[in-house]
Amino acid sequence: MPDETQTKRFIYPTQGVCPPEIHFKLNNGNLEEIRFVGGGCPGNAQLVARLLEGKPLAEALEYLVGIDCRNGTSCPDQLAAAVTAAKKGNLTPAESFRVHADTANRCRVGLISSIEGNSVILQKLIQQMQASGIDACYCLGNLTGDSAHNKDLIQNIRKHNIVAIQGEGDWGYARGQEKENMPPLEQKDRDWLLRLPQVLSFQMKQKRGFVFFGDYIQSLPDYSDFEPYALEMNMVCGLTHFMQDETVFPALEAMIPQFRADIIIFSQLKKWGHWHIAGKDFISLGPASDAKGLSWGLLEVDGEKIEIKIMQAEYEGG
Amino acid sequence: MAESVKVLPQDIQEIIEVHEWDMRTREGVQRFRELKAKCLPSVALDGDLVYESLIPMQEELIDEILRRYKEKNQNE
Repeated sequence: MPDETQTKRFIYPTQGVCPPEIHFKLNNGNLEEIRFVGGGCPGNAQLVARLLEGKPLAEALEYLVGIDCRNGTSCPDQLAAAVTAAKKGNLTPAESFRVHADTANRCRVGLISSIEGNSVILQKLIQQMQASGIDACYCLGNLTGDSAHNKDLIQNIRKHNIVAIQGEGDWGYARGQEKENMPPLEQKDRDWLLRLPQVLSFQMKQKRGFVFFGDYIQSLPDYSDFEPYALEMNMVCGLTHFMQDETVFPALEAMIPQFRADIIIFSQLKKWGHWHIAGKDFISLGPASDAKGLSWGLLEVDGEKIEIKIMQAEYEGG
Repeated sequence: MAESVKVLPQDIQEIIEVHEWDMRTREGVQRFRELKAKCLPSVALDGDLVYESLIPMQEELIDEILRRYKEKNQNE
């Protein structure tokens, strides 16, 4: 194995068994967090995972190999193939979307979207949000844009310790896709942009929520439909087209009992919107600035009710 | 919904091919949208959305399958 001194996560596409994927971690040569996802016998799969938790690979393999269930293989047999491939370096560690968890329980959260390289707007919004008594600020992509001032913006976000997530434009910029006015990034800024979380999870009283930019996450090389929050993203992006197709809301409602999040926030649409369906809140953020001025979202929870207020400020120029 | 298909009599099973899509996946959602379905569960026969949000009685499903089968094979 290339490097056994750190934890690496793997996703193995199975063949001939019910679950389409096996997820697991290798930590110093020990198996951890095995999950057979997407089908199969969940009880048996959990038992296998518990029995093998923390076991060294060699010991685990003794239990796994040579078990037949169907198509000349089985879930344990596929897990054996998966860990063997990982051990030999034939299975690349998964780099799925990155989730950052805000572990504090929040009451009033400020939300900014589509700053697109305008550091002055960011400063102004931060001042207004602080005056409004928010206890956290989440800045959704796109942070950078077709602007000559992206570097200033990145510095400002870092200086103020703003929790920021990556947008599709940021992802492209970090990978060298610069538009006309965008100066090439220095390596440290490029790395910072590239390593930004793509999903941010948070807690507001009893409600669990998460924010993400939009559907570019689904095209990331190791995106898995069975990752935490992937179901919600698949429903928002693919099924409802960012809540714009109400005709499929009955299907959305049928899938909601499987959600882990209560509040789902996205910014790709660049349009304010709030939908409350089957006890879940779906929120689309508008851009930080448009012809009407500046705007940000104030997210509050009052008992069971989630409220998003669009806060506006005048702004000239920039 | 797939269960109602799995319990169809053997002679019906022999003339059909069953595909089940998982709505949790991007592939399942894409197929759902291609079929222009709105509700779950949904059943399509020969690419036509026939049952939405309801599980048909076995007799009804068999009649529809046989009708389509005869229609397709009447010229053979």
